[in-house]
Amino acid sequence: MWSTSPWPRGVLAGWSRSEAIVLKFLARIQPWVGWTALLLLVAGLFLVFHAPPDFQQGLSVRIMYIHVPSAQMALFLYLFLSGASLLFLWKRFSTADVLAEAAAPVGAAFSLVTLATGSIWGKPMWGAWWAWDARLTSMLVLLIIYVGVMAMRHALDEPAKGAKATAILTLIGAVDLPIIHFSVVWWRTLHQPSSFEGKLKPAIAGPLLTPLIVMAVAGLAVAAYLVILKSGNVAAQRQLDILESEGDDHG
Amino acid sequence: MLRAAYRIAWKDVVGDFRRRSTLSAMLFFAIAVLVVFQAAFEPDRQEATRLLPGLLWVTVLFTSLVGLGRVFQAEEEDDAFEGLLLSPMPRGILYLGKWWGNLALTLLVEILLLPCMLVLFNVDAWDRLHGILGILLLGTLGLTGLGVLLAALTRAARARETLLALLLLPLVVPLLIAGVQATGIVLTQRGDLGPWLQLLVIFDVVYLAMAPWGFGWLVEE
Repeated sequence: MWSTSPWPRGVLAGWSRSEAIVLKFLARIQPWVGWTALLLLVAGLFLVFHAPPDFQQGLSVRIMYIHVPSAQMALFLYLFLSGASLLFLWKRFSTADVLAEAAAPVGAAFSLVTLATGSIWGKPMWGAWWAWDARLTSMLVLLIIYVGVMAMRHALDEPAKGAKATAILTLIGAVDLPIIHFSVVWWRTLHQPSSFEGKLKPAIAGPLLTPLIVMAVAGLAVAAYLVILKSGNVAAQRQLDILESEGDDHG
Repeated sequence: MLRAAYRIAWKDVVGDFRRRSTLSAMLFFAIAVLVVFQAAFEPDRQEATRLLPGLLWVTVLFTSLVGLGRVFQAEEEDDAFEGLLLSPMPRGILYLGKWWGNLALTLLVEILLLPCMLVLFNVDAWDRLHGILGILLLGTLGLTGLGVLLAALTRAARARETLLALLLLPLVVPLLIAGVQATGIVLTQRGDLGPWLQLLVIFDVVYLAMAPWGFGWLVEE
């Protein structure tokens, strides 16, 4: 299951030594990260189903154990994406760009899961699938920005130019996200009082907290595994492109 | 140095008047949006006053997309972009020139659009016109500043205009919120203008400080 690795083997043409070392390191830790993620997920879900149901929310509170880690990962992956983009622009480190290309779809998936689980929870709790409150609006915008970053990557004919443009766009988004969140919060508070602020975040008691922490760590491991998995594909694809272009030169 | 930026902007604006007429395309597009809106909602006088801020900014946003799509088109058609890059000036100045050209056209369209809107929707706000124009100016600085940078990013992209819209719309959400709220407050004379003006200024400052750098990174070889 974990061993059929798409990582480029042997001499890596077109990568510098340090870039190749990082790629090889990722290939080596991939199975370990995969098993860790699976183990944590199983343990976390076991704890979740043994946690007492919430006295206000009943059983539907359980979706929160998926929802909260997803939201954390959606945000964290954008932070990771920005760091990788900065490293790529500043040091021209190609592996950072490989990681950036891999992290964008994973981040988009996590923000989609966040929105979906939030809606499923919202229907019985608020009586509506959707409400334009500050956090929901910000998360939706984050998803659209992820999609924009992915679209930018494949819109240019030259991969090198696409990589640079995508990195710049990612940083534009990174600067904008705090402004977006801040503006949406203002808009919801100054413009019309939100109907469920304050009711949203009751303090979580001990027996509910342990599974949440385990699930949060599991979310991180799953995200890491998916990014590494995708990086392997991206690196192999680039390797193939290099070899093909070399073939064209000789042919 | 700023003279060079000014010359690029001048070249774009004059060239536009003589040949490409982005200005009239934008203006008539904006008026078409108003007609569509009227047909879709048929607001009475009271509703028109309530809807005007949102409609104004939506129209401005879509209209600016028309202009932004053409910022680098003259250079694309004649392969003159490399020529611009060969000119001995800092990249930031080059960006400034492009930005000023687009800003001038967009502001011109807005100045013509606003009275049209007040007439068409029968909203009596002639005594507050200067306030609304001031907010429009403040918002347009950031909108075109970010927009020209995104236009540079998508200059050579496939499905260029679609991609530009996809990237610009989510990023200008704060600008849109602040612009609509501020315009509404000026129009109804109720509420606190302060926070929204602050938000507009923050957006402008952040992007106008960042965009020349981004542009420089993008075009360096």
